[in-house]
Amino acid sequence: MAGSTQNTGSLFAQNVKPGDNARLEKEEEITKALTFAIGHQVYGIEIPYVVEILGVPKITRVPCAEVPYFIKGIINVRSKVVPVVNMRSCFGKEEIEYNEKTCTIIVALKDITVGLIVDEVLEVLSVMQKNIAKTPDLNNVNENKFIEYILEMNDGIKLILDIKKIIFDHDLMLRLE
Amino acid sequence: MSKVESGMESMIDMYIFETNTLLEQLDEILLKTEQAQTFTDDDINEIFRIMHTVKGSSAMMGFDELQLLAHKGEELFFIIREKPGQLEDVSFIYDLVFRMSDLFKAEVELIQSEDEYEATDFSDTIKDLDKGAAMLTDGAHSPIDSGIGTYASVEQEKAADCSGEGVMTVRIFFQEGCKMENLRSFMLLNKIREEADVRSFHPADLEGDPNASDVIVEEGFTVTFKSEHDDNESILKLIENAINVESYEVINSGKGSAETVEEAPEQAQGEAAPVPAPVIENVPAVPERIAVQANPESTPPVPATPTANTNQAAQLNAGKQSIISVNLAKLDQLHDIVGEIITTESMVISNPELEGLKLESFLKSARELKKLTDELQDTVMSIRMVPLAGPFQKMNRIVRDMKMKLGKDAELKIEGENTEVDKTIVDSLNDPLMHLVRNCMDHGIENSIEERLERGKPAKATITLNAVSSSGEVVITISDDGKGIDCEKVLRKAEMNGLLMKPANEYTEREIQQMILMPGFSTNDVVTEFSGRGVGMDVVRDNIEKCGGTLTVESKQGFGTTFMIKIPLTLAIIQGMEVKVDDTVFAIPISTIRQSFKVQNSEIIKDTQRGEMIMIRGECYPIMRLHEKFAIPSEITDFEDGILLLVETDGKSVCLFADRLIGEQQVVVKPFPPYLGRYNIKGAGLSGCTIMGDGSISLIIDVANLIEAY
Repeated sequence: MAGSTQNTGSLFAQNVKPGDNARLEKEEEITKALTFAIGHQVYGIEIPYVVEILGVPKITRVPCAEVPYFIKGIINVRSKVVPVVNMRSCFGKEEIEYNEKTCTIIVALKDITVGLIVDEVLEVLSVMQKNIAKTPDLNNVNENKFIEYILEMNDGIKLILDIKKIIFDHDLMLRLE
Repeated sequence: MSKVESGMESMIDMYIFETNTLLEQLDEILLKTEQAQTFTDDDINEIFRIMHTVKGSSAMMGFDELQLLAHKGEELFFIIREKPGQLEDVSFIYDLVFRMSDLFKAEVELIQSEDEYEATDFSDTIKDLDKGAAMLTDGAHSPIDSGIGTYASVEQEKAADCSGEGVMTVRIFFQEGCKMENLRSFMLLNKIREEADVRSFHPADLEGDPNASDVIVEEGFTVTFKSEHDDNESILKLIENAINVESYEVINSGKGSAETVEEAPEQAQGEAAPVPAPVIENVPAVPERIAVQANPESTPPVPATPTANTNQAAQLNAGKQSIISVNLAKLDQLHDIVGEIITTESMVISNPELEGLKLESFLKSARELKKLTDELQDTVMSIRMVPLAGPFQKMNRIVRDMKMKLGKDAELKIEGENTEVDKTIVDSLNDPLMHLVRNCMDHGIENSIEERLERGKPAKATITLNAVSSSGEVVITISDDGKGIDCEKVLRKAEMNGLLMKPANEYTEREIQQMILMPGFSTNDVVTEFSGRGVGMDVVRDNIEKCGGTLTVESKQGFGTTFMIKIPLTLAIIQGMEVKVDDTVFAIPISTIRQSFKVQNSEIIKDTQRGEMIMIRGECYPIMRLHEKFAIPSEITDFEDGILLLVETDGKSVCLFADRLIGEQQVVVKPFPPYLGRYNIKGAGLSGCTIMGDGSISLIIDVANLIEAY
């Protein structure tokens, strides 16, 4: 699976390994994920990356031609200057006006902190091995390049995002246009 | 093998920090004395003290090899101290001691970085140090342990006068099982020596005699002294307060009475593991610290050993207490909290719910609070600023070493080392500076003195390090008076390496000079130990650009080369004029603003080629509309509705058109977040951002880049 991280690699390795051990593991919670909606699709971010959830603070645009359209600007999160990315435009969707449900999820990876603007924050759910779906070919659809793995829950499918790509792979985002 | 004895882990951080500081001091003194070609008594005593402290703390931590190494160094300087007349040829000492200091630094680094530390064997260097000692003593003493031998014997001579008025003999017992009694006695002895005239002590050979510890355990450590101020009480107090002292007994107080004093029970708490001092805050695991100067004029930190520290608190030597070291992460935290306080403060004071209310005393208190928080912010900022003296002084050593190796005569001139820069920047400057100074030594300065003399230059080359802060930047220049950059050679080389982008004859001299900063470029034909791998200069440039700076080079063939590093004061406060364009607030450094003014449309000169311009005092300046430049949809497009600001930097000027002025404010420059690092925002004319009182962000305009981009 191209582009998957070590983490998912091991997850899937467990998934294909037959035997009692693997079945036992399937019942265990691997991690938790914060889910949010963009349009009708539900996405998730693994909890360890999430710092906090804010409304939409005042965004200062960075007026530089090089800064891509999906980076909306910078915000002040308790004296820290944090860039914000609109997930809608990130996934090539039309931007909508911010409303009372719009949230900024602050995520951090190492020393890089980014705010992700999403339509609505939903819930925190447990990620079980048994819910992780068999991988479809993730490279087919552009949008799916950000997906680390897919959760099949009773109430629908949730796409868990690969934070590393969102933080480091600006070019991938730009290609989504 | 674990790093240290149990109970010592918490001290290892401090040991590393202090030993490094001491070694740097040692280097500094050595360089100074080497230049002056003579040791003053003060220098020798200082070196002796450093060696001794390092030895003591190494022993405390159980690093036997390091202790031995320091001991040999101490011995060497003991001989020098005792025989000041025989110092005609001491150059070999410098090499020896520098070698020792390097070994020490490497070893301390090892201790710091590795979980499983294995002591290195220093026997070669120790042998050389012994040889050095022997050469100094010239056979007068036996080479090994000669230093300590004399030390003891000097004391013995004084012992003749053991009785008399005011002379006191005290027997000291250490706590059972506290180990290294001989060393503890030795340290205590030194403490007493500072206050009193020590006549004799037993056992006499504390360091050379392996049985000394056992003797002290059994019979106690006996010392006879006469206080300089006839104040034996204070010395008893000193003994009482020394760590690990169980009890002491006055055998002969000079008056004939004998008394035994038991230690006060509260002494016990700090003794099991000697807790290091209130002077230095001990935070394990994060080795990065900065020395905080309570008094900016005070001398560089005077560190003490962990053991000496506790004693020092009792001694209260004025001056030594004015500096503490603090974990840098804590300062960052403090800085963030202060930022939050200020934001919260303005949220409270300008709360919309207060609108329309008559609040006289509230507003008065609010002003008071604002004044205090402003002061708090300024203070926190100034704490993070450290002078460039540290990295600058290190260059002395580089120049010295290279001078020896390359056989070139050069001196390093340091100017403006008191310029203050944020701590993080000082740290990231070390490597680039080192590379540049090496480059000057290796490539810049002529290979032979004859070559210099031929050109009418003094035989001794000069490398100048200079730092000045100007308009929100610190400019560091490294210049040499060497042969300069050979443009033709550079061009040929660039052609060979396929680095040319246009025909060779179209390059200007300046462009060619900048080529040496390109990756994979080296004009030196021979690769040397110091430079010339062809990776140096572009790495230097990258490092400087990483912290937001720029590197340029200027050279005049035959006269020398100057490297210029411009570094922004990342966390520095600049005086900024805030202007508004629609909803966006920009801060323009006050230092660049010449004037601000309203204009009539009739004053504007329109030129089809160069756009709009304005004539001020007979000079014509181009006008830059900020809303156009930054693509902000502003309603104010008529010059008569907005305001013009004439800004100037590096002799270039432009008029900026904004909607309106907000006011002058001190702004804290924050770099753009690393997430945006891949985009050339600086090139667009913005140097950073700042958080304003109401919590919103304003953008700081980089006038130089703005003009450049125009």
